[in-house]
Amino acid sequence: MSRQKLKRLGLDLPLLPTSTVGSFPKPPELAQARTKYARKQITKRELEALEKKATEFWVQTQEEIGLDVLVDGEQYRGDMVAHFAEIMGGFQTGGLVRSYGNRYYHKPVIVGEVRWPGPMTVSWWRWTQALTAKPVKGMLTGPYTVMDWSFNDHYPDRKSACLALAREIRKEVEALIEAGAKIIQIDEPAISVRQEELPFAIEAMHLTVDGLPAYFITHACYGAFETIYPDMLELPVDNLDLAISNSALDLLKIFEKNPFTKDLSLGVLDVHSHKIETPAEISARIMRGIRVLPPDRIWVDPDCGLKTRTVEESRAKLEAMLTAVRQIRSQRTSTP
Amino acid sequence: MELILTTAGSYPRIGDAADLQRHRQAYAQRERGEMSEEAFQKVEDETTAQVIREQIEAGIELVTDGQIRWYDPFSHFARGLEGVEINGLLRLFDTNLYFRQPVVKGRVRRQRPILLREYEFARSVSSRPVKPVLTGPYTLARGSVLGGGYGSVHALAVAYAGILAEEARDLARAGATLIQLDEPAILHHPEDLNVLQEALALLAAARGTARLALHTSFGDVTPLYRDLHALPVDVLGLDFTYSPKLPALIADAGAEKALALGVIDARNTKLETAEQVFPVLDAVLPALKARHAYLTPSCGLEFLPRERARQKLETMRQLRDAYLGGRS
Ligand SMILES: [Zn+2]
Repeated sequence: MSRQKLKRLGLDLPLLPTSTVGSFPKPPELAQARTKYARKQITKRELEALEKKATEFWVQTQEEIGLDVLVDGEQYRGDMVAHFAEIMGGFQTGGLVRSYGNRYYHKPVIVGEVRWPGPMTVSWWRWTQALTAKPVKGMLTGPYTVMDWSFNDHYPDRKSACLALAREIRKEVEALIEAGAKIIQIDEPAISVRQEELPFAIEAMHLTVDGLPAYFITHACYGAFETIYPDMLELPVDNLDLAISNSALDLLKIFEKNPFTKDLSLGVLDVHSHKIETPAEISARIMRGIRVLPPDRIWVDPDCGLKTRTVEESRAKLEAMLTAVRQIRSQRTSTP
Repeated sequence: MELILTTAGSYPRIGDAADLQRHRQAYAQRERGEMSEEAFQKVEDETTAQVIREQIEAGIELVTDGQIRWYDPFSHFARGLEGVEINGLLRLFDTNLYFRQPVVKGRVRRQRPILLREYEFARSVSSRPVKPVLTGPYTLARGSVLGGGYGSVHALAVAYAGILAEEARDLARAGATLIQLDEPAILHHPEDLNVLQEALALLAAARGTARLALHTSFGDVTPLYRDLHALPVDVLGLDFTYSPKLPALIADAGAEKALALGVIDARNTKLETAEQVFPVLDAVLPALKARHAYLTPSCGLEFLPRERARQKLETMRQLRDAYLGGRS
């Protein structure tokens, strides 16, 4: 079914399309430059030049590895909510809040009507897509997660903040599609935090994507899926990207009880581990997925963004992933 | 009706102002080996004294030490135990705060009092009574990796409760009159109420002259509200932010126990107004059997920026005064 949608969009992807969740590690010189920029020691233009260089590096690396659907690697942004909150109208940078140990972050505050400021991600997407013939995903954070990761001084409740965000994020989706994006990933890592709010998280996704011609993927990280499954299948997207490497067996067992009705991106690499998985381990994870879902509905990727790994680790992990996928592909095509 | 102003646990360690960076800088210096453990403890002492002063200035009548020394609600206590190791980071309920998970490897035992020194210090710098806040035995067990011969959450909760009972005894002897136990995990596992009951009984037997307050947060308490009254505690602390129907339920069911009303949202910056809070008090207060109740933020204040945490407390006091003033 979604294969047909991909075809209609002009995308011809191999069996078990491979992709990544979004972020890649920043090369050391870029990380240093970001610090210097924050201290006003270099100009925006100098920083951007390094961001572009790093993006080129990652596009080339993804092509060398053989990934099918590419990302820009998010070399130009840090936190996935703060990045949008800094650009969108209606937000202010909030005060410092601790996340763990001695780590603090500025949690954004919604202080007025949220407003789409014009294209936020389109120029990076366009620039990256021009570097490759492979499809590059448009990457956004979903309305529920932006709401949950922000303070709300303006809207009467969480639901109205979430729905207002959805209406504005939709404009960015439209702009990406207009620029030519055919696959758009809308991340909702917070989606499972409050089970009772899932209905309006779904309503918000409807407002964001309904009627728009793209193949939509939603990535959600480690969360208590058992609490929102099978209801989460109501999310109006084509593909759900779930971490399988850590919680694999449980998740697939749940699918046996309530069939999974969408395409599934199987997160088969543990991004929080330095250890490079072997192709055999990865293969076993993919085969577990194939046992509960037809293979033409499965995509393969890491279980989250790779930004916490090193450049070398990221590359080695993805190469092992592609080795495993190629083996399975060739077995599938050689047996009638 | 007396409405006592209290806080529910944590308090932000740093603020955005330049003079409120001390704790963070010292922490970094200690991590780099540029500051001794002793010197860092002194910074923790100063920060504790500062956040107690801030609470008192904002009008709080029963303060906490702000849990300045706590890495998180789980590992701080677990670090003081034999038989427990500390694991990687996990998300704390539905928050963006991460905790390190205790991993039980052997029989759990405390070598010496864990929270006593912290309480004694807080008391020594506070002109108002101090309420120690502990993560309860059931929630601690739920957040731990089982092992060391403890085959169930039940067994581990009872073991933790034995140690927390000793902690409660020490704290009561040192002068604590109200001890708060945080048990958010029970909201997600109502089937374990009997486990919680058994674990709390150990604390109740050891509390001496102190009263016990059970505080739930990070979830809707309404389905469990009536059952919580059967637990061997004196005060129930309730997070109203998840439970729009809670005021009506209390109005209907009444309250045998004293209540701590968590009507100030400690997870969002928006400041509460009389239009929001007064109707809740109107519904709840007439149903209470006790002649006093507590007003409190819905949970620890560490989820807010420092400046806003203080404003939340000031707002709570203004609302309390206006409410009582309008009614006397
Ligand atoms: Zn993720």
